[in-house]
This record gives sequence, C-alpha cells and structure tokens, in this order.
Amino acid sequence: MYHVSKAYAAGSFALRDISLELRRGEFVFLTGPSGAGKTSLLKLLFSAEEPTEGQIVVLGRNIVRLGPAAIPRLRRRIGVVFQDFKLLPRRTVEENVALSLEVVGTPPRVTRAKVFAMLKQLGLQHRRYHHPLSLSGGEQQRVAIARALVNEPEILLADEPTGNLDPDLTLEIMGLIASAATRGTTVVVATHELDLVSRYGKRIVRLDAGCVLDDTPAPGDGA
Amino acid sequence: MRRALVQLGYFVRTALRGLRSSPVTSAVSVVTIGVSLVLVGAFALLLWNMEGLLDRFGDSLYVTAYLEEGRPVEDRRALVEIVATVEGVERVRVVSKREALERFQAGVGRGSALLEGLDENPLPASLEITLLPERRSAEGLRVVVESLEGLPGISDLASGQDWVEGYLRAVALVRAVGLGLSVILALATLLIVTNTIRLAVLARRDEIEILTLVGASRTFVAIPFVMEGLVQGAAGGVAAVLLLLGLFRLVLPGFEFGMEFLLGGVTPRFFSVGEIAALVGGGAGLGLFGSAAALTGGWKA
Repeated sequence: MYHVSKAYAAGSFALRDISLELRRGEFVFLTGPSGAGKTSLLKLLFSAEEPTEGQIVVLGRNIVRLGPAAIPRLRRRIGVVFQDFKLLPRRTVEENVALSLEVVGTPPRVTRAKVFAMLKQLGLQHRRYHHPLSLSGGEQQRVAIARALVNEPEILLADEPTGNLDPDLTLEIMGLIASAATRGTTVVVATHELDLVSRYGKRIVRLDAGCVLDDTPAPGDGA
Repeated sequence: MRRALVQLGYFVRTALRGLRSSPVTSAVSVVTIGVSLVLVGAFALLLWNMEGLLDRFGDSLYVTAYLEEGRPVEDRRALVEIVATVEGVERVRVVSKREALERFQAGVGRGSALLEGLDENPLPASLEITLLPERRSAEGLRVVVESLEGLPGISDLASGQDWVEGYLRAVALVRAVGLGLSVILALATLLIVTNTIRLAVLARRDEIEILTLVGASRTFVAIPFVMEGLVQGAAGGVAAVLLLLGLFRLVLPGFEFGMEFLLGGVTPRFFSVGEIAALVGGGAGLGLFGSAAALTGGWKA
C-alpha cells in the first residue's frame, strides 16, 4: 500500500496516507478503536472498495487498475472472515463452505471431499447438513473460516472475527486462523481486542483516525 | 468443457432453488406471461384461420362472364379464344344455358320447383374463367375483370373481388389489432417479469454479496436469475398453449355461428407443433429479456 487514502464524503477520511508492506506468509494484527479505519483498510485489500488516493499492490497486481473482470479472480485468492459471519441461512453448512469452490467450477465430487476435509479439520463434520442459524456463534464463525480457507487462499483477511464470541471460543477461533498462517497464508486480522493481540506475539499495526499510529514488528523479526 | 458442465449444474440448481424460495412471485410471473400469450395466441389462431380460408378459397376464385343471348356460335368461339389470351387467365370453360340450369337446380334443391312454370330457361350461358394460381387474389381478379370489360358478346361480369377485398380488410384489421395488442402485452409482461426478477435480486442481495465476496463474477451471479426468467417464461408459454387448447376443444364448438360467420364453414385448426414451439419460445424469450433487463445496472458485483 503506497500513500493510500480513503474518503467516503468530502473531507471525511476513513484512511489518510497509509503506506504498509506485508510480506507473503506474514501474520499481522490491525488494531485500533472503532472508527480507526481497520475495516476500510481490509475492504481496500480485497477490492470491495477503491482508494481515493494511492496505489495498492496485492499478489503482484495493482488492484487500483484492475478491470471489473479481474476483481473476482483476485478475490478467489483471498479468504475473508467477517464479524457477522455472512453465512447464507437457507443453505446448509456444507453448501455455505462449498460456495468458494463452486465459483471456480470445482467438480461436485471434489468439492464435497474438500469441504468434508475442511469441516473435519475444524470439528464441524457432524454439522455439515445443519443450517447456520441452528449453530452456536462459535460454530458459525468456524463455518465462515472454513469457507474462507477451503479454497487454500494466499491471503486470509479477518475483520473482528471474534467480536461476537466468548473468551474460550475467541482462543479457539484465533487458533484456527493462526494455523492458516503456519501453512504459508498471509493473515491480516483486524481487532480492537488488545489482550488478544498481545497474546500471539505477531506484527501489530495500530490505526487511529485513519492514520498508522505505529507499526510494531513481531518479536524477533528484524524486518 | 467439464468445468462448463459443472457450472451449468450449479446454475440449474441455484435457479430451481430461487424459484422454490419465492413461489408466489414466480407464479405471478408465470400467470402474467401465460395470460399475455393466451391473448396473443388467440389472435394468432383467428388470423391464421382467416388467412387459411383465403388460401382455400383462392383455388375456387374465378371470373364469370355472362354471354349475350343470340350471338352466333362462331362469335362465341372467337370470344373464348380472346379471353384465353388475357393475362392471368389459366383456362376458360363454357357453361351452356342447360348446364347453368342444372347447376341451379342442384344448388337450390327443392326450390328449383320455382322454375318449373317457366317456358324458357332464363339463365344465360357463361364463361367460367379460372385464373393462374399466382393471380388468384383480389388484385388478380380486378385485372382480369378490367381486361374483359367491354368485350363484344359479354353482357355482364361477376367475380368474388368485392368479397375477397372485404375479407382481406377484415384480416388486415385482425392482424393490426393482434399486432398492436401483442406489442402492448409484451411490454407490460416484460415490465412485470423485470420487476419480479428485481424483487428476487433484492430478496437475495445477501447471497449476491457473499457470492461476490468469494470471487463470483457478475455473470456467474446473474445466470441463475436469467435462468429463472427463462423457466418462468417457458412455463407461461406451456400454460398458455394448454389453456388455448382447452378453449379450442371445449369452448369453440359453442360458438358455431360465429365461426361460420368468420371462417365460412372451414374447420378451424389449432397450432402446429412448430407454432406451439414458437409460442413457448416466445414466453421463454419474454422471461429471458425481462430478467436480463432486471439485472442491467440494478446491482453491484
């Protein structure tokens, strides 16, 4: 990200002159109070919004210059997890997770196998024919993570993934997200929970009022 | 190829799921398309049957030239030769006074007793002039009649020209009304289908948002909605054909007099297989264009 700003209305900046570089396989926490610009920054990264100023290079592509047809192709390489899960209530757990594979035309047999393996890894295989509303909050977030990871994305973005969960479930969900990073996926987690951030010893980018307050590298990381 | 088939399977499943999730709005769409096509189809049936009558009567269209009494046989023979050379004439047949009387008697049946009191056959001899097949029309009749007018030995000319012209005007009127009605109904139906699909898009905006988040292209999201429109349209077309068939078989016989008036005793025909396919295809087309219009610019991927 090079000198990126995002304004929603004249004079109302969500992000101001942000420059950040994330390495492949890196695990980064974005922290800051509500309204600091964490969600806006994530939305820019998966091209849900366009920056008002600046350039953003994701997976080798300047996404500011991407055409409409290239944006879906970029998103297929990025998994996104939201605080409100964004699951389809009328589809089963299996169908929700399968969405990421269906959009790339994965054959049904392969899709079923991959979804089952992912749900098993997250301890949800017995829930695969249930509908999301019949699951607990933690289970719903695990389904959302499964959907984000089943396509083996190169980047995982998580926006307040534990915001609606109790402390035990928070640790469980963060453990799942952290395990993705160990497999080489670049992980960016936006959260306002400072206790959580300090527990993992990862790089921390602190935002406030749309600006980077400080950028603390992971302990032992000279970069 | 395999990927395309996999995606086709997904589109069909998603479209069917969409139809199941909003049965009432889907049914409204199907009924609207069905009613429109019933009206259009009824006009088409009427029009084609009326045109069919013209085609059928075309074969028996001819000009009758009544001959003056008391002319020598040589003159009559010369007249036949002249008439045969007139442009558009296929053949000329002489109908003698006796044959005219026999025909009349056969035509009126018991009414022929009226002629029994007459000493002399009052019916004139005539020439029955058949037109070439490509000239069997009101215009063809007019041209031949104009060519024959004033020829010595002909006392009067008769043809079905006036009737054909009047019937053609009626056919043109039915065609114009049917065409106008079809255009209005097509536009109204498109509007309703467009709004139905737009409602479906709104109802499933969460699904669209999530699909685009996981990398679905605009086309990938749109195709199931277009398929829904297509299925609704085709279903409306099938419903219209069934309803028209029911009306044709059960209700039409009750309007025998009206049919006699319009079609002159010709047995009305229903649509051919090709025409049924066209009607169903028309419904599918309405659904397709309606849903495509609903998806144009109405949502963001």
